[in-house]
Amino acid sequence: MSVAVATRGGASMRRLRAGPLFFLLPALIPVVLFSVLPLAQGIYLGFTDAKAGINVDLAPNWLDNYTRLLSNDLFWQSFQIGIIWAVTTTFLQYILGLGLAILMEQRLRFLWIVRILALVPWAIPPVIVAIMWRLVYQPDIGLLNQALRGIGVPIGELNWLADFNTAFPAVIVVGAWAGMAQTTVALTAGLKGIPVELHEAAASDGATAWQRFRHITWPQLRPVTDAIVSLNFIWNFNSFGLVYVLTEGGPGGKTMVPALFAYNEGFKYGHFGYAAAMGNVMVIVVLALLYIYLRSGRRGVE
Amino acid sequence: MIHRRSRRATVLQYVALLGFIAFLSFPLLWMLSTSFKGPRELVALIPSLIPVAPTLENYGTAFSEQDLVQSARNSLQLSLGNAILTVLVALPAAYGLARYATILRRLTMGWILVSQIFPLILIIIPLFLILKTLHLLDSLSGLLIVYLVWSLPFTLWMLQTYVKAIPLELEEAASIDGAGRLRILRSIILPLLAPGIVVAALFAFISGWNEFFFALVVLQSPEHATLPLTLARFIGAEGVVRLGPLAAASLVATLPSLVFFAIIQRHLRSGLLAGGVKG
Amino acid sequence: MNKQIRASIATLAVAILTAACGSANPAASPAASVAATPATPVTLQFASFAWQKATVDAHNKIVSDWNAAHPNITVKIVTVDVNSVHDKLLTTFQGGTAADIVHDESADIGGFSGQGFLADLTPLIPAELKSDIPQGIWDTVTFGGKITGVPTILQTYSVFVNKKMLGDANITLPTAASPWTWDKFAEVSKQLTTGDRFGVGWGLKSPAATVMSMSLNFNGLFFYNEGGKNVVKFGPAEQQVLKRIYSLAYTDKSLSPTTLGQSGPEILPGFFAGKYAMIVGGNYVAQQMVEQAPAGFDWAMLPLLKGDTQAQSANPQTLSISTQSKNPKEAMQFIAYYMQANNLASVAIGDWLIPVSTSAGKAVTTITGGKNSWDVNVASAPSLKIAPFQTLDAYAQWKTQIAQPGFQQYLANKIDLATLGTQLIDGWTKVGGK
Repeated sequence: MSVAVATRGGASMRRLRAGPLFFLLPALIPVVLFSVLPLAQGIYLGFTDAKAGINVDLAPNWLDNYTRLLSNDLFWQSFQIGIIWAVTTTFLQYILGLGLAILMEQRLRFLWIVRILALVPWAIPPVIVAIMWRLVYQPDIGLLNQALRGIGVPIGELNWLADFNTAFPAVIVVGAWAGMAQTTVALTAGLKGIPVELHEAAASDGATAWQRFRHITWPQLRPVTDAIVSLNFIWNFNSFGLVYVLTEGGPGGKTMVPALFAYNEGFKYGHFGYAAAMGNVMVIVVLALLYIYLRSGRRGVE
Repeated sequence: MIHRRSRRATVLQYVALLGFIAFLSFPLLWMLSTSFKGPRELVALIPSLIPVAPTLENYGTAFSEQDLVQSARNSLQLSLGNAILTVLVALPAAYGLARYATILRRLTMGWILVSQIFPLILIIIPLFLILKTLHLLDSLSGLLIVYLVWSLPFTLWMLQTYVKAIPLELEEAASIDGAGRLRILRSIILPLLAPGIVVAALFAFISGWNEFFFALVVLQSPEHATLPLTLARFIGAEGVVRLGPLAAASLVATLPSLVFFAIIQRHLRSGLLAGGVKG
Repeated sequence: MNKQIRASIATLAVAILTAACGSANPAASPAASVAATPATPVTLQFASFAWQKATVDAHNKIVSDWNAAHPNITVKIVTVDVNSVHDKLLTTFQGGTAADIVHDESADIGGFSGQGFLADLTPLIPAELKSDIPQGIWDTVTFGGKITGVPTILQTYSVFVNKKMLGDANITLPTAASPWTWDKFAEVSKQLTTGDRFGVGWGLKSPAATVMSMSLNFNGLFFYNEGGKNVVKFGPAEQQVLKRIYSLAYTDKSLSPTTLGQSGPEILPGFFAGKYAMIVGGNYVAQQMVEQAPAGFDWAMLPLLKGDTQAQSANPQTLSISTQSKNPKEAMQFIAYYMQANNLASVAIGDWLIPVSTSAGKAVTTITGGKNSWDVNVASAPSLKIAPFQTLDAYAQWKTQIAQPGFQQYLANKIDLATLGTQLIDGWTKVGGK
C-alpha cells in the first residue's frame, strides 16, 4: 500500500530533490566510521586465520573457516538452539506485547499503573534482570517454587535452570519477559497511528471486537509488526548476556546459544577469524529467514 | 475507542490487567524488599516480602563504597545526550528514507540488518582500534558517538515505519493548499510522529543507560564509570553476589528510565498533539 | 673549630645516610630498598579486579604507602570488573592500551603468554621472593619455560561442617595430622543423612574446575604426554572423584541432589537452615560463614580431603607485566613490594584466600590468630601443586566445550562413565588439542 502511494506522490514532490542526501548527511559520517568500518573489518576477518596475539600476521584463508564450520557439530547444535530460542522468544514477546498494548488502549481503571510497569523489563539493567530471575528459579528459596508450593503443586525441589528438560524453556521465559517492553512500546505507538474513525465506522456497522481486530487493527499494524518482529528475532538470536548469567550455556550445553558459542571462540580461545566466520554464517542464515518471513507476510496482506 | 463491551469482556480485561501487573511488578518489589534486608536475612530459606529486620546499611554501602552519584551523573549525561542526538539525526533520516525510494534506502536497510545480526562482540576490537586512533578512548564523548551510531539502526527502522504509516495524501493536500515544506513537516508530520519519537527517544535513552560492554571496554578512569559498570562491582567472582547493596543500587539505576518515560510521554502527548487527530 | 667541623661532618654524614635509607621500610626486602630512583617520574597503571571491600582497601593502602615512599614511581589503580577480566585484558592487549601491571589468574595467563602479551619475568624476580614461594606454585605460572606472572593468593576446595550436627552424632572432627579420606567422608555423610536432612550438599552447577582439581587426590591427571603429543586418558585414577560424587548422590543418597545443580553460594541458605550437615566448596566461602550465618551457627572448615594424597591443583591469582609496558623494572619493584609478607597477608585476608608465600602465610596466622578456620586454611597451602592441564593451550576450549557439559551430563545421570570417557578423549582431538 505504501509503495504505491510513494510512487504516485513522487512526481509532485520531485522539485525538492535535494531531499534524500540532505536528510541523511548528519548520520553518515559517524555511521561509516564507527559502524560500517568495524563491521567490514569483522566480516573480512571471517575469511582469514586471524588469532589473538601481539604482532600476529593474518592471512586470508578464504573458505577454509567455512569448510571447518560445516563439520563442527557443536556449532550447528548451538545454531539449532539459537533458532528455536529466537523463534519462541520472539513469538512470546509479540503476543505479550500486543496483548498489553491493546489492553492499554481500553478504558479501564488503574491503567496508569501498568503503563509505567510496562517499561520495567526494559528499565532494569540486563544483568540485574538475569540475577533476579536466577533467584526466582532457585529450587529452595526461589519465588517460583515457593509460589507453586503455596498453591499446593508438589513441585519438590525442581531446579529449573539445572534440569536438562526445563532449563531451555525457563531461559526462554526470561527472554520473553526481558524483551516484551520494547515490543509493547513499539506496538502502542503503532496502535496510536490507526485512525479512530475506522474503528468507529466498523463498530457502527455492527462489527465485533474480534472482527475489528482482524480487519482493521491487524493489517494496519502489519508494518510495525514486521519491523519489531524482525528486530526482536535478530536481537534474540544474538543475545547471550542473559543466557550467560543464567546458565552459562549449560546444563550439558542445552542452552548454548550461537552468540555465546561465537563469543567463546573469539574471546576465550582467541580464534578471531574462526569466530568471525561463525558471525558471517549467522548473518546469512538470519537474513534468509527474515527474507522468507517478510516475503510471506507481503503475499498475505494483498 | 470501543464503545460497547460486554461485562464478560470487562472482567477478562481486568483479569489480564492484574496478571500483567503481577508479572511485571515482582522484580521492583523484590528490589525494594531486598534493598532493606541485612546480609543474614538474605540467606533465609523462606524469604519474606517485608524485611524482618529492615536496615538502611545497603543504601549506605551502595553510596559510600562506589561513587554511585558520579556514575549516575555520567550515565544521565550519556543517555540524555544519546536520546536527543538520536532523535535529531534519525528523524530527518527516517523521513528521507521513507519518502524517497532511492538506492540509499536499500543500502541503509542492508546496513541496519547486518549491523544488528553480526555479533557485536566480534567487532569490539576493530572499533576499539578506531576509537584509539581518534583519541576517543576513556572519554564519555567517544562513548556517546558509539551509542548514537548503534542506536540508529533500530530508530531508523521504526521511525521509517511510522512515517510510512502517515498517508502521503496528507502532505500533498497541505502542499496544494500552499503550505511550505517546513510547515508541513512541523505541523502535520511531527505531531503524528509523536508516539514514534517516544519510542526512539526511549530506546536511545535506555540503550545508553543500560549498556555495559562498550562502556567496559572503552572507559578506564573511575570518574568516567557509568552506572552498569558500578553495579557490576557488587557482583563478585564465583557467583558471590552482594545482593543487599546490589538491590539498593539497582533501584537507583532503574527509576530514572521510568521517570524519563513518564516525562516524555506526558510532554509529547500534550505539546505536539495540538491537532488532536489521534487519541 | 675542630669540634665544630667534626660535628658538622657527622651531621652531614647522618643526613646523607638517613636520606639514602630514609624511605625504605625496615621490613622491606633488600631488593626494594636498593630500587634505583628513575631519572624521570614514572607512572605505572595497575589493572586489578579486586572487588571485596577489604581487598580493595588493602590494595589502596599498599598503593598509597608505595606512592608515599617512591615519589618518582607513581602507581595508579585501574579497576577491572571481576567477571570481565579476560575480555577487558584481551581488548586492551590487542588495542595496545594495556596497563603495566596486570592482575589475572594462572589459568588465564597461559593463553596471554602464548599470545605474547606478557613479559618474561624470570630475570626480574628478586631472589628472596623466588625462594619464599614453593617451586610447585612457580610451575603454575611458567609457560614455555618463561615465568610470566607472580602468584599471589589461591583457593582450595574444602569441606565445611555444621559442628553441632556432627557433635550430636558423636563424630569427631579430623585433624591436620589425620585428615578424612574420601571413604571416611562418604561414611560420615551416610551417618549424618536422616529423614529430614542430607549428609552433604555440593554446589556442582559448573563441575569442571572442581573435578579437575580434586582428581589430583588420586593422581588423576587426565592429560599425559606421549611421545611429544598430549593425549587425554580416562583411566581408574581419573574416574575416582567423579565416581565417588556419583555414588554419594545416587547410591548412598547422602548428597542432596538439588545442590548438584546449584552453584557454591546458592547452597548456603540450605546449609544455614540445616538441610545438609556438611558442604564442599571453595575455602573463600568462609567469608559467607562469618557474614551471613545465623547467630550461634557453629561451623568449621576441615583439612583437605585425602585420596592417595591431599593434592589439589593450584590456580593462584597472578600479577604480570605486559610486554607493552615501558617500565618493566619499576613494575617489578612494585610487585615485589606488594608481595611483602604483611602486604600480601592483608590482600589474602581481604579475599579470604591463602597467600602463596611462606612468610605471608605466617603473617596471616599472626594477624587472624588462626580464627575462622584460618589455621586450617593456611595449613592446606603445601598440598597445592600444578596439574598437567594447566599449561596446555587448548585446555580452555576443552574445558568449556567438552569437559563441562560432559561432567554435567554424567552427574545428572544422563550418560554413563564409559560414554563420558569417550566424549572427553575424542573431544580433545575435536578442539585441536596437541
